[in-house]
Amino acid sequence: MAKKGDMLYAWTNDSALAKKAECGGAVTELLKYALESKAVDAVLAVTRGFDLYDAVPVIVTNPKDLDNCAGSLHCGTLLLSKLVMEYAPQLAGKKVGMVVKGCDMMGLLELEKRKMVNLDNILMIGVNCGGSVSPVAARKKIREKFGVDPDKVTTEEIDKGQFIIEYEGGHKGIKMDDLEDEGYGRRSNCRRCKVKIPRQADLACGNWGVIGDKAGKATFVEVCSDKGAALLTKAIDAKKLSTEPANPKGIEIRAKTEKAMHKLGDKWRQRDFAALAPNLWGTIAEETGRCMKCYACIDNCPVCVTRPDKFEQPDLMVRAGFAPADPMFHLRRFAHISDSCINCGQCEENCPAEIPLALFSHAIRTEADKFFEPKLGKSSYTN
Amino acid sequence: MSKPSVPSLKYVQTTCPYCGVGCTLNLVVQDGKVTGVQPYRRSPINEGKLCPKGMTCHEFVHSPDRLTKPLIKKDGKFVEASWDEALDLVAKKFKETSDRHGPKSLGFQVSCRTPNEECYIMQKLARVAFQTNNVDNCARICHGPSVAGLSLSFGSGAATNPFEDVLNSDLILMWGSNAVEAHPLAGRRVAQAKKKGTPIIVIDPRYSPTARLADDWVRFNPSTHIALANSMMYWIIKEGLHDKEFIEKRTKGFDDLKKMVEKYADAESIHGVPLEKVKDIARKYATAKNAVIIYCLGITELTTGTDNVRSMGNLSMLTGNIGREGVGVNPLRGQNNVQGACDMGAYPNVYSGYQKCEVPEIRKKMEELWGMEAGSLPDWYGSTLTEQINECGDPIKAMYIFALNPVVSYPDSNHVMRQLDKLDFLVVQDIFWTETCEHADVVLPGCSFAEKDGTFTSGERRINRVRKAVDPPGDAKEDWEIFVLLAEKLGLKGFDFKSPEEIWDDLRRVTPSMAGCSYARLEKPESLHWPCPTEDHPGTPILHREKFAAADGLGTFFGLEYRPPAEVADAEYPFTLMTGRLIFHYHTRTQTDRSKILHYEVPEGYVQINTEDAKRLKIADGERIKLRSRRGESLPLARVTDDVAPGVLYMAMHFPNGANMLTNTALDPLSKMPELKHCAVSVEKIEGGN
Repeated sequence: MAKKGDMLYAWTNDSALAKKAECGGAVTELLKYALESKAVDAVLAVTRGFDLYDAVPVIVTNPKDLDNCAGSLHCGTLLLSKLVMEYAPQLAGKKVGMVVKGCDMMGLLELEKRKMVNLDNILMIGVNCGGSVSPVAARKKIREKFGVDPDKVTTEEIDKGQFIIEYEGGHKGIKMDDLEDEGYGRRSNCRRCKVKIPRQADLACGNWGVIGDKAGKATFVEVCSDKGAALLTKAIDAKKLSTEPANPKGIEIRAKTEKAMHKLGDKWRQRDFAALAPNLWGTIAEETGRCMKCYACIDNCPVCVTRPDKFEQPDLMVRAGFAPADPMFHLRRFAHISDSCINCGQCEENCPAEIPLALFSHAIRTEADKFFEPKLGKSSYTN
Repeated sequence: MSKPSVPSLKYVQTTCPYCGVGCTLNLVVQDGKVTGVQPYRRSPINEGKLCPKGMTCHEFVHSPDRLTKPLIKKDGKFVEASWDEALDLVAKKFKETSDRHGPKSLGFQVSCRTPNEECYIMQKLARVAFQTNNVDNCARICHGPSVAGLSLSFGSGAATNPFEDVLNSDLILMWGSNAVEAHPLAGRRVAQAKKKGTPIIVIDPRYSPTARLADDWVRFNPSTHIALANSMMYWIIKEGLHDKEFIEKRTKGFDDLKKMVEKYADAESIHGVPLEKVKDIARKYATAKNAVIIYCLGITELTTGTDNVRSMGNLSMLTGNIGREGVGVNPLRGQNNVQGACDMGAYPNVYSGYQKCEVPEIRKKMEELWGMEAGSLPDWYGSTLTEQINECGDPIKAMYIFALNPVVSYPDSNHVMRQLDKLDFLVVQDIFWTETCEHADVVLPGCSFAEKDGTFTSGERRINRVRKAVDPPGDAKEDWEIFVLLAEKLGLKGFDFKSPEEIWDDLRRVTPSMAGCSYARLEKPESLHWPCPTEDHPGTPILHREKFAAADGLGTFFGLEYRPPAEVADAEYPFTLMTGRLIFHYHTRTQTDRSKILHYEVPEGYVQINTEDAKRLKIADGERIKLRSRRGESLPLARVTDDVAPGVLYMAMHFPNGANMLTNTALDPLSKMPELKHCAVSVEKIEGGN
């Protein structure tokens, strides 16, 4: 019987799935079992679109369809939490299973704080994430740095600090550090991220720390909640999954990997924030001065939920119909998300004006977190 | 199969229905309805990023205002009809008119917001059924001069380099283009280049959002492009900065140019730019290793449009800035399919792929491929878009307007309405009731971009797929299907298409430059840039690499004289009115005004007026004022700003009773472009305006 705090190696008993999935296929198996056992009514998952640079979200209700969602797509930079919120009204009362990276998980926690999702109805299978690469940037990197036609690549992965590709006729790995120093590599928000193992999910899964004969054949699972423990136990009882206790050496290696990732995150924070500090106001003014009000930073932000009557308010400092946007358009958003920006990078990635929005709001939040405590919630009055 | 209790979620990748950048996006479909737009990050064009219009482009799709039934005007009132009844009537009236008055009595107008397949089938129908060349599209009132001018200069009337290629440039010269607002995701490429440190020169009479990106913003007097370009070229030649080898090997006509520009050593009195500044930007453009010109309607929408475009061609050839990465001359095409509508031959003098109607061998080939009698296709140059309006009543008796709203978008709205009422029979096919529908005899309900398959060709000649996400509302039909049904009523052969792909394959069969672009190949997000003559051809992102597309392979210089606009400010109408576009709206707003956020941003038209002028006329910011021209009047709100110079006004063209009540119908002799960007108006304060 699994319980909160357990650390295990797990793998599917379905040999076909094991072949298709990565690292023992435990994540896919757990979600399949959750559907089969009616622990969830649907799974919000990600599947491969046109090619391996294209990640597409799908709602799956047939367990078999989950096989198509097995495997990772490091070029998928979706954020599922906001999607869930948007479709929450239609999903009302339904239980949904999800695979979450750190940012997906943080987004859900923030949305729950705002009562936009009910986490009782969401089963979060967390996966370790060392960062993701935007699809077009990934193709450019493969063409320019690997000298390989991106259309010929069959698999990509990030392992042991390297970005590794397999392609028709070979495989090649280049150190992430080298790539990133030259401007190729993970999204800049991912570089600064320090939530690499999503422990506030129900289960935290990944391949870090799987060693010995199970290396590459099992998934490391850390049980993070009673809900997670119950699912895992039932799946084992139903003979869907096999498990064994994680190798203590493996646990150590996993912790080391996480620590190394955190160190790298700190390096990037140091670098990005230090560069921003000397001319903070000037940089924010210049960069946001290009904003043409597409609202993508708001629409895609898991911390921004807007008032239904926002367009009936008198416009004092953000005048309707003026582009570039008045400065308060962004200042009010930075203020709004100052205590909860999760640095998911969606604002920046979707910005057509190339404004480094995540850099600004992440800097504001991390600096504020270091200085202020406790944080405030919504007040009982308006002023 | 999904259990019914859980909602479905489907992403349909398609192409944005707005500007000519051709951004890819996902329409979110849930239970048969489009419920949102989500980024498509795999797109090499926009990487998931969208502008305010793209972000909200789903909102009009399920509007309750959509046309859902064919309507026939009976005793002055529109009544619902069956498709059979409506199309029988259209077929009968067009046939009768053609039989009685001949092929020049019909007019066909095609919108650049409709897919290639529909542009192609409509022009084919006009030509096969009625042997008329009176078919044109609304490129005529945006980039017609680009097609004409670049064809004369380079032998091909399209943009030379892709949008992203500005990242390979060492200098970006933007002339009469407000890309940040009108082509935001092309503007993004310029913003990216700026971040890399690439210098940007913006030449514009107005301090536009794009001018704000510039290292050098050059304000010049409206519509004096040729004087300024000639002056720049004089100094480039004078200082020996021209590319002698390129001129020698790849061009002709240099002496004509050289002789002409000698008159323009100092033309400050015309264009208003200090001589030192002219020399400075000329040097910068000429000495950059790779310099690109991006231009737009500021260049084209004038009676000198074709000459202005050729001036851009002159500049680029003079400095050897053509035919490789980071250089070129790029018109930013306005509508989502303005490139395609022209490519498809919805044009009065060419078939698809710019195959000329006047050439007997080409007519013969088309007759064979379309299964027509030998000698039946006409050789004459058909009437252009606004010429057709002028010819309403004589000789044009019946007109078919497909997804256009001339009453708002063509110059001189009063004239347009008067002319349309002279027709015996007018068909309007659209998705919403427009100001133009009022003048119709039959209104046919078509489909939005979300309800049909097809392709849009963007301004970089990239053919992007449009994919059907949902079914049309009510009895509305996919537009290509309406033409198939009409062809059936007319008893035509060669129109029994079952899908847009079949129409596309018919187009490929008759169009050498696109023959290699099968739908299968267009599935890839990168798609293909034409020319792409064979299935194994990789497409052509950059034109004119080794030689120009002209028959002799050479580029042509033209010595061009500055000509003032047809109507200039005078004592009675002392202000110069310029027109343009807003980021928040698309054309006559039939689609964008149905988005809550876009309507909120700009619910009605305004005019920018200089601070000094406003002060002198005692006009306050936000006050309603009266503008008057020789053709009509408009009552916009005043936006007082130094973004425009004293004596100059700027209005967006999107609003009814707005800019086009005032604009001039005078035409560019070569391209028949009306002078939408320049007319003379008076400004009056009105009682109760503030």
